[in-house]
Amino acid sequence: MNAISYVLAGRMNLRLLLPRAKNASECLQIFSSINKVVYPVRSIASSSALQASREKRDPDTRLSIQGYFNSNNRNKESFKAACEVFKVKERHLRGHVEFIYAALKHMEEFGVHKDLELYKELLDLLPKGKMIPQNFFQAEFMHYPRQQQCAIDLLEQMESNGVMPDSEVEMMLKNAFGKNSHPVKKFGRMMYWMPKFKNASPWSLPDIVPDEAFELAKLAVARMCSVDPTSKLTIYQTKDVEDAVDDTWIVSGMSHIQEQLVEEHPVDEPIKVEGPFRIFLRDKCVGYFILRAESKPPPPPVKPSEIDDVSNIKHWFTGVMEEESSLVKKCSVHEQEDGIIMAICATGTSSRDSLLSWIRRLQVTNPKLSSIPILFTQASPIGDIMTVQEPVGEVEVK
Amino acid sequence: MIRGIPHLLLPSNLCTTSLGTGLCRTIYSFSTYDSFKFSRSLKARYLQPSRIQVARVLNNDQNNAQSVRYISTTPVHWMFWERDRKGGYGSKEKHSKKEMIRAGLKELRGDMDKMWVLKENKDLEEWVITCDQDHNEGFSSGTVTLSPTGHGLFSGELSTQVPKDGVIKKAGYVNMRSLRPRKSFKRETYLDWSEYNTLELRVRGDGRSYLINISTAGYFDITWNDIYSYALYTRGGPHWQLTRIPFSKFFLSSKGRIQDKQCAIPLDRIVSFGISAVDKINAPFRLEIDYVGVYCDPDHTEEFAYEMYKLPKFYIY
Repeated sequence: MNAISYVLAGRMNLRLLLPRAKNASECLQIFSSINKVVYPVRSIASSSALQASREKRDPDTRLSIQGYFNSNNRNKESFKAACEVFKVKERHLRGHVEFIYAALKHMEEFGVHKDLELYKELLDLLPKGKMIPQNFFQAEFMHYPRQQQCAIDLLEQMESNGVMPDSEVEMMLKNAFGKNSHPVKKFGRMMYWMPKFKNASPWSLPDIVPDEAFELAKLAVARMCSVDPTSKLTIYQTKDVEDAVDDTWIVSGMSHIQEQLVEEHPVDEPIKVEGPFRIFLRDKCVGYFILRAESKPPPPPVKPSEIDDVSNIKHWFTGVMEEESSLVKKCSVHEQEDGIIMAICATGTSSRDSLLSWIRRLQVTNPKLSSIPILFTQASPIGDIMTVQEPVGEVEVK
Repeated sequence: MIRGIPHLLLPSNLCTTSLGTGLCRTIYSFSTYDSFKFSRSLKARYLQPSRIQVARVLNNDQNNAQSVRYISTTPVHWMFWERDRKGGYGSKEKHSKKEMIRAGLKELRGDMDKMWVLKENKDLEEWVITCDQDHNEGFSSGTVTLSPTGHGLFSGELSTQVPKDGVIKKAGYVNMRSLRPRKSFKRETYLDWSEYNTLELRVRGDGRSYLINISTAGYFDITWNDIYSYALYTRGGPHWQLTRIPFSKFFLSSKGRIQDKQCAIPLDRIVSFGISAVDKINAPFRLEIDYVGVYCDPDHTEEFAYEMYKLPKFYIY
C-alpha cells in the first residue's frame, strides 16, 4: 500500500518508468531505486531482441513469475514489494492466479505465512464484480473455477497456519465471487470451526510462542508444574554458585508438597537427576530435567483380624460388610507408580555442570538434599532422553 | 385332533401338539411309564391321566409278560390360563423390590470400564499402526511398544516432507487404531457404548496435541468414512494426566474434512477407536498410554456440542 500512496501523491510516475523494464527483476531494481531501499537482485538472463517492444514480450510462465520472489532479502517488506511490482507491471493483473500460487508457495520462506495483512493483499489481486454469476447456469456450475480454486487454496493455507480471517476478507471474497460461492462457504466454515478450537486446550499458550530459549523454558516449566497449583517457579543464575563452570540461567519448578517429600525421604536412598526429556510448546521444543526418587511400595493389605469389632457391621443399604481398609495418607500427585517427582528444571546449556549448580541452589531451600546422595543418570523410565551435543543448549526442532 | 380327548393307536415316534389355547398335549412315542411331577391338587382337580396299556407278549411266552409298554400322554389340563410361569418346574424364588433396588444400585455405581489396557505384549496386538510411509505418501513412521514403566507407548517420528510425485500436497500422519470387534466366524460387529457418555484416558504425552478418532462406519457406503474426532491435548512433563472427553464433543468428519451437517455420535455403532499424531510438527512424538476407558457421568447432560438445527430442503448448502 505504501508504493501506491507514493504514486498517488505524485512523487513518481511509475507507469512512465516501468514499461521500459524488460523483466521482473529489472522492475524490482527500478522500484528499489525510487524508494531508496536496496534490494539486491539477481539478474535473469534475457534476450533483448525479443523484448524490444511491449507487444513482442516473452509470455509469462510460472518460472518467470517466480522471479518476483527472487530477492535475497526475504522479509515482509520485500514480499510486499513483490506484490506492488506485479500490480504496476501488469496493469490489468494478467496472470494473477499464477502469481498468487507462487506467492503462497514462498510465504513460509519470507516468514509471513501467519500474516493476515499479506493474505488480504493477495486476495486483493482478484478482480471484483467480474466473476459473480449472473444467471442460473453460471451459479450452478462453478463460475471461473480456476480463480475460485485459487481463493480456496489461499484460505486453506490460512487455515493450516491458524490465521483467522476477518470481515474484510469476507467482503473481498463476496465482491469477487458472489455471496453463494465456494470460497465464501469455505470462509464460513473457517469462521465457525476455528473459534471453537482456538482455546480448547487446558494449557493455554500465547498465539505466537516466543522464540527465545529462556522465555520458552519458563513457559514449559510453568506448564509442567501446573499439575500442582502450589508450585513455585524460581529462576537461578549459575554464576551465583561457587565453582560453577557455566554461566547460564536455570528455571526451576518446585512446590511445598515436593519440599515435604524431600524432607520425608530416607537419607540412604539416592535421588536421581534425569533428562533431558522433550516437551513441545506448539512447534518449539524444550529439554527439561527432573529430580526423581524411587516410588514407595504400596501399603500392605490389612488383615481382617486387626479390624476393630465395631466396624464389623453390615452396611445399612448394600447389606455387605464394610471393605477392609486402613487409614493411609492420600498420595500426592507427585507420588506416581514409576517414581516420586521432586522437582523439574530447564537450564540454558543443559550441561552436567548447570544441573550441579541447580542442585546446589536447591540445597539452600531444602537442606535435607545435602545429606541425600544425588545421582546423574542417563537412562530413565520416564521417557526418551534427547541427544544433546554439548555445548548446544536445548535442542530446538523446527 | 379334538381337544381333551386322548388319542389312541398312534404310530411310534410321532409327536403332535394341539393348536388350542391353554390346552397342550404331547404324545410321546412308545416309552416306559414315567411319573409326572404335578402337584396333587392340580392332579386331583384337573388331571385325567390316561394310560393306554398295550400289552405285548414277547416270544409267545404268555407267562413272561415283562415288557409292558405304554403310550403315555401328558395329562390334560382343564385350565383357562397358566398359573405358573415355569409350568410347575423351577424354583420358587422370589426377589423383593428392595433387594432388586439394592442389586441394581450396585451395578449403577458409575464406575469406569476400561476398554483397552496396554500392559502386556498381547494387549499391543489389538492395535494397528498406519502411517503415510505405508502408501508412499510421506516419510513418517511410528510404533506401539511397551514403555520402560510397563505401559503402552505410541511413539515415532512425524515428517512433514512431501514426496515429490506432483500429486501429494501435504504429508505427515501416524495413526494407531483398535481392531474391529468380530462375532463368531469373523463376522464384523459393533461396540456398544450407549450406556456411557464420557471417554477417559490416562496418558503421559510430550506436550503435543493428538487426534482421537472414533470410527462409526455403517452399512451404507456414505457412512464408510464417518469418523468422530476430538483433540487430545497433552501437558507434557513427567506427570501422568487423566483426560475425560464427553462423547457430545466429538465432531463428524469424513476423509479428513469436517462435515457441514453435524450430528451426535451413534454410540451403539462404534467400529474402532484410534489416536493419531497429525499436528504438522516435524519432530519425534511420544505418547504413553495406560488405559482407554469409558464411563457414564450422570452430571453431563449435553446432547451435542455443535449446531443441530436442520435447514429447509430448498436451501442449497
